Amino acid sequence: MTCAQVVRLFGAYWDDETTRAEREWVEAHLASCASCRQQYEAFTRTLELVGSLPRVEPAPDLLERVLSRARRATAAPDLVPARSRGWIPVTAAAALVMIAGWLALPWIGLRNDRRETATSVMAQREPVRLGSVVAPAAPSGPAVAAPTKPEGLLGAASGLRVRTDSLFDHTEDVEFILDPVRLQRGRATVTKPPTIRGEKAVISF
Amino acid sequence: MAPDRDPASPPILSLSDEDLMARVGEDDERAFAELVRRFQGRVMNLVSRVLNDRECGDDITQEVFVRVFVHRRNYRRGSKFSTWLFTIAANLAKNEIRRRVRRRNWFSLNALQEILKDSAIQLADPTEGRESRMEREQLQEAMGRAIATVPEKYRLALVLRDIDGLAYEEIAQVLGIPGGTVRSRINRARGMLKRKLIPLLRREGEP
Repeated sequence: MTCAQVVRLFGAYWDDETTRAEREWVEAHLASCASCRQQYEAFTRTLELVGSLPRVEPAPDLLERVLSRARRATAAPDLVPARSRGWIPVTAAAALVMIAGWLALPWIGLRNDRRETATSVMAQREPVRLGSVVAPAAPSGPAVAAPTKPEGLLGAASGLRVRTDSLFDHTEDVEFILDPVRLQRGRATVTKPPTIRGEKAVISF
Repeated sequence: MAPDRDPASPPILSLSDEDLMARVGEDDERAFAELVRRFQGRVMNLVSRVLNDRECGDDITQEVFVRVFVHRRNYRRGSKFSTWLFTIAANLAKNEIRRRVRRRNWFSLNALQEILKDSAIQLADPTEGRESRMEREQLQEAMGRAIATVPEKYRLALVLRDIDGLAYEEIAQVLGIPGGTVRSRINRARGMLKRKLIPLLRREGEP
């Protein structure tokens, strides 16, 4: 066993936590190595000094002070009436009911007037404007951008429909549609028909 | 505060720490007072030695017991009371050390080395011959300061082991670290302390 290994075992040897074999190694080494013996003496002297430090005794009135503070610490909450927090779940439930009710209005027919107004506004506008090709707005009913040339650009975009139940009309915002866009699992794929030559498009919403 | 007890129930002095704490959980002030009586010395010694500051040790000891009372219902039955108590004490001592470090209000190593050097010169005086009372007090004072300069995480392990005499397993629980880490921290702390105290360790008869 080397000196470094023995020095590492000083603590365990002092605490009597070595195995029997380790203890024998340490003792054999200390018997033959004056340097390690000197180091071990310094080590044990240090720990003896630490252990001989006088105990720091508490003040005689510590107990009374602790009890007094403990009483105050427990009495303090009683002085102030506990504020009930029962309003939190009630308010949250009321808010949920209101939101659910508002969302359900279109389904129970209470917001038909607004929807009809939006639809009628949409019906008076051009749903889609594509260069010179214009899809005429239907006078009533669902507004559909029907293609006039099936093989043209509108033919490729014929799948586009104006949502009649939308509260907002975005049809005028669409300036150009260059490519038909297909959405699959959240990813947009664009297949560019050979007839399209556009280089740049500005789409604003 | 204290509920009426069955006269046939065992006297409070004969109860274990854990049973007393169970009663404290039922707002029994007498049980709490008994626990304070039993442990105030150990907590005071631990905190004061870790901080090397008796006055602050007194304040923190108070705070430890107040927290025990305030959080009495958090005590888990079946766990050892002293471990829970020392965990609170060690955490408060750590907080205080960190607060001091933030305020730069601690003994600098250089200042300590000066103190140790002076003490060593005095202790090495050949006319003294053996440790007088004054010598011993100086040595203890220097030792207290030397402990205070050991880094916090090693110091706590050292004081819990070599001053409070806790077992390695209990120190591991108090500090929330594995047993192997406890062992290595104690070893490192002892090594640091030994190096700092070498000038003081001239034994009787040595030049």
